[in-house]
Amino acid sequence: MKKYIGKRVLTSIFTLLVILLVLFILMQLMPGSPFNDEKLNDTQRATLYAKYGLDQPVVVQFFKYVKNMLTGDFGVSYNISKNTPISQLIATRLPISIRIGGMAVGLGALVGLVLGLIAALNHDTIWDTICTIISVIGVSVPSYVFALILSYQFGFKLKWFPMLYSAKQAMASSWLPSISLSMFTMATIARFTRTEMMEVLDSDYMLLAESKGLSGRKLIFSHALRNALIPIITVLAPLIVDLMTGSLVVEKIFAIPGVGSLLVNAIQSNDYNVVISLAFIYSAMYIAIMLVVDILYGVIDPRIRLAKEGS
Amino acid sequence: MSKAKTQAVQTFTPQKPYTPVDSDFVLKSDAAIEVDRNFASQSVWKDVTTRFRRKKSGVVGLWIVFIIIFFAIIGPHMNGYDYSAQDLKSKNLAPRVPGIERMGIFNGDEKMSTSTGTKTTNLYEEEGLDDTYYWFGSDRYGRDIWTRTWQGARVSLIIAVAATIIDMVIGMSYGLISGYFGGKVDMVMQRILEIMNGIPRLVIVTLLLLILKPGMLTIIFALMLTEWVGMSRIARAEMLKLKEQEFVLASKTLGARPFHIIFAEILPNIIGPIITQVMFSIPTAIFTEAFLSFVGLGIPVPQCSLGSLISDGYNSFTTHPYQIVAPIVVMALLMLSFNLIGDGLREALDPKMKEM
Repeated sequence: MKKYIGKRVLTSIFTLLVILLVLFILMQLMPGSPFNDEKLNDTQRATLYAKYGLDQPVVVQFFKYVKNMLTGDFGVSYNISKNTPISQLIATRLPISIRIGGMAVGLGALVGLVLGLIAALNHDTIWDTICTIISVIGVSVPSYVFALILSYQFGFKLKWFPMLYSAKQAMASSWLPSISLSMFTMATIARFTRTEMMEVLDSDYMLLAESKGLSGRKLIFSHALRNALIPIITVLAPLIVDLMTGSLVVEKIFAIPGVGSLLVNAIQSNDYNVVISLAFIYSAMYIAIMLVVDILYGVIDPRIRLAKEGS
Repeated sequence: MSKAKTQAVQTFTPQKPYTPVDSDFVLKSDAAIEVDRNFASQSVWKDVTTRFRRKKSGVVGLWIVFIIIFFAIIGPHMNGYDYSAQDLKSKNLAPRVPGIERMGIFNGDEKMSTSTGTKTTNLYEEEGLDDTYYWFGSDRYGRDIWTRTWQGARVSLIIAVAATIIDMVIGMSYGLISGYFGGKVDMVMQRILEIMNGIPRLVIVTLLLLILKPGMLTIIFALMLTEWVGMSRIARAEMLKLKEQEFVLASKTLGARPFHIIFAEILPNIIGPIITQVMFSIPTAIFTEAFLSFVGLGIPVPQCSLGSLISDGYNSFTTHPYQIVAPIVVMALLMLSFNLIGDGLREALDPKMKEM
């Protein structure tokens, strides 16, 4: 187990370093320098270059860059809000994004699990078909389409929820974005739960449990669902990542002051420094989630661990 | 034993041993060889087609895709409008279709929400445009949304299909080679893959489009860089299943080279799962393209894709909702249908697997 975790941690660190290298190279390739203000003369420019260490060899610059990024010093924003440290920009926005993302994952996982259970327990009935239709639509309609429909119907027409995010009604205005983000998670979890549950319900140990006289709730929840849940954990990781992509557009639609809309703004106003910092944060979050899920999965299911150690 | 049976046994087990005659050793002509029609052998693909047809949702998906492709080809030329021609005199007109307009729908009426309530206006009548018909309405520059929707569907489909085919070739070759050679080659190739997989796609695509000029080729390139990983996983898994089988051994014994075995012997056997994966990759590509357009990194104007149309319509979707409906419906249908086809194919190719 230790060997497995060690290997996974090492790969993750290496991946992060590769990403930093790519980002660093991109920074060098980006058109224009942050200091191409025409008012600056050569000596001023040299001072600025010295201040930000741009006059040193590339290798030294890279290691300095790695150190800065890892300690949370992302530099300053050039266009969005001039000379504000990016870490400060992100610090106020990240909690909002995480809250909405968390609500979406929670909602999606819960509803998806229930839908999948209903479908599996009422296999080949009308309930099964309804759940299948819901999950196929959820998988194939992008989250921002849901966001547009929800914001038009419930925000603009019925006025049940605020159409745009407002900090005063943080909770009320988080519902619509969370629901639209959760649709994909919900649908995927429902599909997975259904497949896994049907497999588990068919297994010999379920037959044994049933013949021992267990019935109803205990049989389903403590015997079937527990085993069906294991593979579901693996799909959660990629789902959270899809959620990040979705959050960009959904945050823009609902005008949520989160990291997603910050990234969209940065892209649109060519604020490369912010884009690259956010790319780093997204990658780091992604790698961390993948690492945790892989280790969790190894802990729960020894077969995975052994197979990966062997290779 | 009944009499008839005894007789039958006697005829089939004669007392005298059978003496062959010359005619037994003459080769039969093609015409003389009879085919077993009762238990006719079926090719794998015929089997798959039958099973696919049985699954209604897959067939429906296939039809919808065909219909959308048909309109994507002829749709932009069906009325006199050009997808990029602007006409500022007729902007923001609601959908109006000749014939159907008498039934009270698609007659150019538009409900406007004002502070005092809703009122119905008809810009065609107000502007005196009696002979003008915009089937899906016109946008804020007076461009025909019907033409633009199908033009957009065409662009989105081209991007998605091209990117997916390139992905398929790259991912498949990578996975097959990695799986076939195994050992050190596999180790190195899989580590590279792990690192590629560790970088979020969103980050790669966004950064790539920032340095390269946005355009159709750039988007295809960005999609190509990100989507091949999944494909290579499947190809490798299939290769690991197949490479120990007898036909590979036979081929090796006959002196076939590794690349002949990989691409001529094994590839045809794994084409099923690969095609299924392609069907699931296309909607992902369509979605990513739409997402990029929404963020502002998509197809540059005056060209349009489904994503850029949705993003245009979004700007005025509370005042003129019809502008966003057509592209959204086409895109949702397209993604839904490809998913349905993928599901159907997966079940048809692997009847043991019962998935939703």
